[in-house]
Amino acid sequence: MNEPDIVDAAAGLSSGSPIGMLRRQRDVFVRHTQGSHDVLVVPRDPAGVSLVERAAAALRVATIERDPALSAHYREQLRRAGADAATIAAAGQDAEVSAASPRLAAILRHVALVATAPGSATRARLDALQQLGLAPRDIVTLAQIVAFVSYQVRVAAGLRALAQEVRA
Amino acid sequence: MSKPNFTLEAVEWAAWMPTVEAATATPRQLAALDASPQRDSPYFLTLAHDVDSLEQRSPLFHAVMYAPRGLPRADRELATVVVSIINGCVYCSSVHARRFAELTKQPEIIQRLYDEGLGTALQPRQRAIVDFAAKLTRSPQEIGAADMAPLRDVGMDDLQIHDLIHAVAMFANANRLMQTLGEPIPPG
Repeated sequence: MNEPDIVDAAAGLSSGSPIGMLRRQRDVFVRHTQGSHDVLVVPRDPAGVSLVERAAAALRVATIERDPALSAHYREQLRRAGADAATIAAAGQDAEVSAASPRLAAILRHVALVATAPGSATRARLDALQQLGLAPRDIVTLAQIVAFVSYQVRVAAGLRALAQEVRA
Repeated sequence: MSKPNFTLEAVEWAAWMPTVEAATATPRQLAALDASPQRDSPYFLTLAHDVDSLEQRSPLFHAVMYAPRGLPRADRELATVVVSIINGCVYCSSVHARRFAELTKQPEIIQRLYDEGLGTALQPRQRAIVDFAAKLTRSPQEIGAADMAPLRDVGMDDLQIHDLIHAVAMFANANRLMQTLGEPIPPG
């Protein structure tokens, strides 16, 4: 029940540490944070967004947010999903990609916009993604992945700092 | 992009894509919508397209905002308003500004944050919450042990700080969904 999860790993916590134990006082947070990760990044049925596209989107956000631990985690997920070296390199940058397929390049561009400037999103951009063959469900999935990693990065950063203070 | 018109009035939200229709929704979609704050809103009917993620997110969101003990609810609401102002989410800021005002009877605090910015004069506890929320939103990798000191100075224990971190992080999430799947409709 107290097995370490991805937030523990990203924040450098062992589950028996004071902040690891503190997290377990909020078991609903722990369960559904990990559960969100699992259904978004390693779902049993990936439907219209492939495992490579999901992990690439998550890696792009972790890279933009400059979180080394979560970037390493999503790079490994992307490798396990079967991505080639060029795709892993393209997703793990915070700048424009040229190596990826047009569809993956469009996904990564959209992901970067949602991560860094959500206020500049427009209906026309969603229309363009739909013209590339993404269904409304797929666009929701991508938004949820970006939103989740943006959350996860801040949870990990905050808990890492809290653990440092408690140890000091 | 025009300057966001933050308000304490109620704001509506319109989806940019066709939403799930209640009449044709699957039983799992209906159950996930029932576990969401407003099952008939176009926002949740949009998120219901991906029922797997909505099933996880609704209980997480609810716990982060309403779990008992720990950080008082008004403090959670204040933190989420600060994040929403920084990200420019007019809809989210309106909803949670109104909750903060209901809980504290102090709508003027929100109005000053809107009008004068996050640097406006505040009581020490609110100042500490606003500063922490702003830094974790803008520069998560720069948060360190020293950023806990202002929170400790106003009496926060580990669980309260844990809850504050999650409230801030949850609105990095909520703002991105709200701002990129549809748009606010300003009060008439």
